[in-house]
Amino acid sequence: MVQFDRFKLNNGLTVLFQKDTTTPLAVVNTLYDVGARDESEEKTGFAHLFEHLMFGGSVNIPEFDTPLQLAGGENNAFTSNDITNYYDVLPAQNIETALWLESDRMLSLAFTEKSLEVQRNVVIEEFKQRYLNQPYGDVWLELRPLAYKAHPYKWATIGKDIAHIENATMDDVKSFFKKHYCPSKAVLCISGNFDLERIKTLCEKWYGSIPPRNKAKRNILKEPVQNSFREKTIERHVPADAFYYAFKMVRRDHPDYFVIDTLSDAIGRDKSSRLYVALKKQQNLVSSISAFITGSLDEGLLVISGKLSAGISFEQLDRSLRVELEKIQTSLIEKDELNRILNKIRTSKEFQDQGILNRAMNLCFYELLGDAKLINLENEKYQNITANDVLRVAKKTLNFNSCSLLKVKAINNGK
Amino acid sequence: MVNRLSPPKLKRVDRIEFVSPKKYRISNHVTLYHMKEVANETARFDLYFDAGKNAASNGIPEFVNGLLLSGTKDITSFKINDAINGMGGFYNSGISMENSVISMFCLRENISTLFNTVLDAVCNVSFIKKEVEEFLADRKQQHAINLEKVGYLAHCGFQKKLFSNNEAYSSTLKASDFENTTAEQLIDFHAKHYLQGLLKVVVVGNVDSATIQKIAAACQNIAKAEPVISPKTLIHLPSRESKTKKDAVQTAIRVGRILFNKKNEQDYMDFLILNTILGDYFGSRLMKNIREDKGYTYGIGSSLVELQETGYFIIATEVGKELVEQTLNEIQNEIAKLQQDKISNEELELVRNFMLGQLLKNADGPYAMMDLFISAEMHGKELAIYNKAILAIQNITPERIRDLARKYLNWNDMCIFTAG
Repeated sequence: MVQFDRFKLNNGLTVLFQKDTTTPLAVVNTLYDVGARDESEEKTGFAHLFEHLMFGGSVNIPEFDTPLQLAGGENNAFTSNDITNYYDVLPAQNIETALWLESDRMLSLAFTEKSLEVQRNVVIEEFKQRYLNQPYGDVWLELRPLAYKAHPYKWATIGKDIAHIENATMDDVKSFFKKHYCPSKAVLCISGNFDLERIKTLCEKWYGSIPPRNKAKRNILKEPVQNSFREKTIERHVPADAFYYAFKMVRRDHPDYFVIDTLSDAIGRDKSSRLYVALKKQQNLVSSISAFITGSLDEGLLVISGKLSAGISFEQLDRSLRVELEKIQTSLIEKDELNRILNKIRTSKEFQDQGILNRAMNLCFYELLGDAKLINLENEKYQNITANDVLRVAKKTLNFNSCSLLKVKAINNGK
Repeated sequence: MVNRLSPPKLKRVDRIEFVSPKKYRISNHVTLYHMKEVANETARFDLYFDAGKNAASNGIPEFVNGLLLSGTKDITSFKINDAINGMGGFYNSGISMENSVISMFCLRENISTLFNTVLDAVCNVSFIKKEVEEFLADRKQQHAINLEKVGYLAHCGFQKKLFSNNEAYSSTLKASDFENTTAEQLIDFHAKHYLQGLLKVVVVGNVDSATIQKIAAACQNIAKAEPVISPKTLIHLPSRESKTKKDAVQTAIRVGRILFNKKNEQDYMDFLILNTILGDYFGSRLMKNIREDKGYTYGIGSSLVELQETGYFIIATEVGKELVEQTLNEIQNEIAKLQQDKISNEELELVRNFMLGQLLKNADGPYAMMDLFISAEMHGKELAIYNKAILAIQNITPERIRDLARKYLNWNDMCIFTAG
């Protein structure tokens, strides 16, 4: 059970405090309710580029990292299609340094030309390193626009085109900040061995004077219902054919979310899962196969991906895959099988809740979902899932009319 | 109004509480280490074997490591996985140059059952033909994928030069390894390096001592009878080589040399400070120059990697393919600066505080504390070495840092390998 307190400042900032008497460290985690889904289609990759600029100095402090390192701390951040999350971990006695730094960049950035120029280049190299220079690295750049036609999930957080990053101007950057970075769009979580009253005083001191800004109205295009199977084949210089079946699934806040997560575990989490056993161990069609969900806030994807064994065709795989997916839609999952999956989920949850940083990040995320208390209810939601739930949701979700298939065809390197 | 222009007052970390695990004797040379102080239901165990990559050639150690749960004459791989997954366990196997480690993450209530399942599977693995063939086919495909990664190509090339005098350390997987492996080779290796090769056992979790004693007892007959003897000297060959990969948009760069490990206590601890300044944190000289000033890369870092008897220094990065020479020049410049100029008090203060904060973090919680302990134990040290590290960080001088850079970071001593 994760215990925490919650309070709100006048400017709209939500603060969560999690007292932990066992650690000499403090965590300051800040989640901003902005991600790649908030970008316009002509300027993609901005939420992530912006995350880089958040380290390029704020209105009163020329550099973010140095003072935090001087305090013995470290920090990092990540951007997803839904959120941008920043964290600082430092010795508890120096917590005020993190609050000083984080509150100043919530107030405003320095916006220097040098920082923009350098971070543009860094992000372009990141684009190359992660997406262009890795075998299968560009798969999500292809799969997203296949699965989504209107919703901004059709582009990846890195952006849909390197040119969008190359052409980013200072005005673009400033207006992005104004629109998306304000106290009421943030959730702050502080963890460590402190008293609540001290945390309240410190938050008021550092964050209280940040003026409220209007929360920009979110206007995200709704994805039209997909009514037919989509398929695309791309050819790449890779050693093995690869496949990605992406089924549309419910939003993160839908009650069936947990059931679909369990369903994806049943079909492809580990070496006991149905697709691994049938398609790999029994039929030798694939060298690897797994299933997972994207976990996004808006309608997400349940993805089945893997690589074909040498000499196997996409058609052979497709036939057998459909047979296996049919089974889970027509007969109830066995009690042992369901227990196995739920036991694994229980272990994962225990490990997720251990460690001060993980807990702080999760608390912020659940608060964004509606209530940080959800962190303590999730395992129970999983443990209450029945075989009938899985059957019902499998029928609804594993529908090939709402599926998009990306095939990566290996072509010879000519070496 | 709050004053945002002057930073809050700082207090440096001056002491860290280190907690040793409890020791249970398995045999003369083999110990079980148990960290009981876990406040929740999580638990982990690790078994270390003398079965690292250097223990045989042609990929045999990697293959055996990957096949440990592939089935015995009594129980199939499917049933083994089912038993582990049914208990909510997460199994992991990993191999380094000198060790093989298998790990289980689970709830404490299941640790005994899972331990017995894994031990039985690992000790009685029978290398069933079908399992071996499937495994090798998968690994062959994975190897082909790895060969498409410039980071992997650079690593292999670098390793050859770094361990130039020792075939067991320098060799990397070849395509023919996947064709020529026989069941006999696997069985022989397993018999020697697993059935008589257990080096230590680690348990983290709130488990009673009776359970731990049972685990220790069950390990007795696979304990290694004599201490492992690893090569004391590995010799690198200063060189500059490259491998071409058509169509790559980035080039991977590796620069480094053989150095030392914790056994060379004072130089090791002081060099770690030099290494941090050069390339081991976000504010390091290399990151500041090559990423944050020039924008050549997404990341660049340096580290000191420890082996049983020695260690090596390595700088690694991936840069735009047209930026290789500029990057190497800048790396060389940054090293030269450290050799010529004494570090400012300001920067040294920053690195001191940062390193002490990191050590505090690396000692936070039972899992981190156990990892810290094992990192000392590997080299015959106790946790006390970290108190010495604190003193080294507090007391090092700019002159000493400069002298270490002069002694150990000469550009002409480096192995340089690029792939792209």
